[in-house]
Amino acid sequence: MFGREQVFSAMTASYVVAVTLALVVAAIFAPVVWNGVPSGGDDDPSVAVVTLRGGTTDANVNAVRQDLREARTNESIEAVVLRVDSPGGPVDSSEEFYLAVNRTASEMPVVAYVEGTAASGGYYGIVPTDEIVVKPSSNVGSIGVIVQAPLSLIEQTEQQGETFVRSGPDKAQVSKDGLREDIEVLQRSFVGTVMRHRGDQLSLSREEVANGNTYLGARATENGFADRIGDSELAIERAAALSDDIEGDGYDVTYLGSGGAAVNVIVVPAGAETVQGANNVTYLVHSEDETTFREPVKYYAVWGIPAKGDNATVIRND
Amino acid sequence: MTEGRIVKPLAVFIVVLVVILGGTFLLAVAGPGSSGPPDGASIDGQSPSQYQPDAVNAPVDPEDGEISVDADGEDKRILVDTSHGNQVSESQLEPITEAVFEAGHTVEYGTSGTGGFAESLGQYDGVLVVQPLGSFSPEEREALREYTEDGGRVVVLAEPTQTQLSTGFTQSTTTVSFGANNATEQYGVRMGAEQLYNVDDAANDNNFKAIYATPSGDGELTDGVETITFDTAGYAVVNGDAETTFTAAEGTRTLETRRTGTYPTVVRNDNMVFVTDSTFIRSSEIYDADNEVFVGNLLAFLLEGEAPGGDAPDAGFVTDGGSATPAETPAAPTPEPTPTPTPSGF
Repeated sequence: MFGREQVFSAMTASYVVAVTLALVVAAIFAPVVWNGVPSGGDDDPSVAVVTLRGGTTDANVNAVRQDLREARTNESIEAVVLRVDSPGGPVDSSEEFYLAVNRTASEMPVVAYVEGTAASGGYYGIVPTDEIVVKPSSNVGSIGVIVQAPLSLIEQTEQQGETFVRSGPDKAQVSKDGLREDIEVLQRSFVGTVMRHRGDQLSLSREEVANGNTYLGARATENGFADRIGDSELAIERAAALSDDIEGDGYDVTYLGSGGAAVNVIVVPAGAETVQGANNVTYLVHSEDETTFREPVKYYAVWGIPAKGDNATVIRND
Repeated sequence: MTEGRIVKPLAVFIVVLVVILGGTFLLAVAGPGSSGPPDGASIDGQSPSQYQPDAVNAPVDPEDGEISVDADGEDKRILVDTSHGNQVSESQLEPITEAVFEAGHTVEYGTSGTGGFAESLGQYDGVLVVQPLGSFSPEEREALREYTEDGGRVVVLAEPTQTQLSTGFTQSTTTVSFGANNATEQYGVRMGAEQLYNVDDAANDNNFKAIYATPSGDGELTDGVETITFDTAGYAVVNGDAETTFTAAEGTRTLETRRTGTYPTVVRNDNMVFVTDSTFIRSSEIYDADNEVFVGNLLAFLLEGEAPGGDAPDAGFVTDGGSATPAETPAAPTPEPTPTPTPSGF
């Protein structure tokens, strides 16, 4: 009937057909398999809400930075809403806040929602976001830097010079001229950051921004300090809309950091100072029987005045 | 054989399909974690351009130069007023005293002898009045006017109204105002109502209230000066024939009302010069920008005056250099005590 060669060629043809069919079917079903695998364990992509309430202190900023890192590394999170109510704080940690938000905003849409106040250091952090949503009662602005120094440092430097033997004329020495030069440098980086990120939206000049005024929500949306009036729900919707990976209403909302403190069980030593972060609490214990050297001056990007002014004054020009 | 012809290709079909879809599944599970840059790697914007040194490091005015005062071999005497609650101490004026002394002239604090301010003016070639909080009595105003009309020179350094912090057992704040408007008004100038500020980086000196001022014309006060800086600047209100010699940089505004304008900061009326800041003569500011040249010009202006009461009497011992020790200077002949209270035009 059939020769060996004919049988062999028929077999070969059938294998070719089988493999070809397999490839075609695989090509059809592979996307289904691919999409069927849940990414990161969730069904829907989500918008993460990261909250900063309180000053832009080391503890608060570190907590927010962890939350933002979580948002960047968690594959199901496609956009972030940064919910802020902060009058600012030290310049160094405010810069950290800005850099953390800036990095996140370079990877995914970030929308800021100003719950109450985002002033000075609080505003510093939200300038790189894609949009800023405010309420009429929200307060934004106050771009600028102040320094608080013990009076003794300024007025009694000569006497202090006799108390400590120094290795150089500038060692551990604070001068008013020096403080003002440092303030100018920090001010320029702050104002420069605002102008870089929001210069196109702002109707104010660099000099007007440097004045350090604060603006209520309605005025802020007019002059470009904010983009639209709304609530946190609007901010979440805007963040979802700005994400390419979220379609329509098909997203979850994840509140990061809000429940983190529940598992903290710490025995608080007597006399410890409590530093409350967004989702963590740090306890500092100060030893009283040893000489402590305090940082002589600290630069603040803050809106408001110090609550207690014991032996300290804000450096002014008089 | 027939079964083999169907089963074997079918097996191949299934194996290939399972391998491809299984591989896809594995890639999908493992894939997302490894796609995209890992956190912390080469993310744009973490060394932002606005943080770079060129963008933030503020140019600092060089603190160099020196105060030059001409030594013309003549011993001239400058009086620093201390009788009107003046906000100045001898230590703050040390750089000025040093320069004047080096040129062979004398600086005295307060009037020597027993005479009051009005009676003693005639002994001095120039009078420096720094931020007086107290006003001048009618007799003193009259004496001052006659003094400048007779060739004496007066420089008034004034500060705008401001809040000052006083320390001690308790801290308190007080409002401090220039008190001698009644004396300067007879020269057609008074202190303005507000402080000045400027937030333009090119028009302020490292802080928003430390402004720059530039000459408005040529003259002995502006000679060699391009820019001066004032820490506590106000503005002069001019009326009459007083001439503005320096004005605040463009864009300077008043602190309370935020009005821009061309604000006079140094005004001269013949033998009287009015400067709307007194901090530029302190050690920390005097060598900033061209402040030292301006201070030298002010001192030259004062030293060019002629004591109306006649030359200062020879001090106890005058060396070849012509420097006199203030303590050795006896009271000069008292000028006639201005008996005619001519009504002056203020």
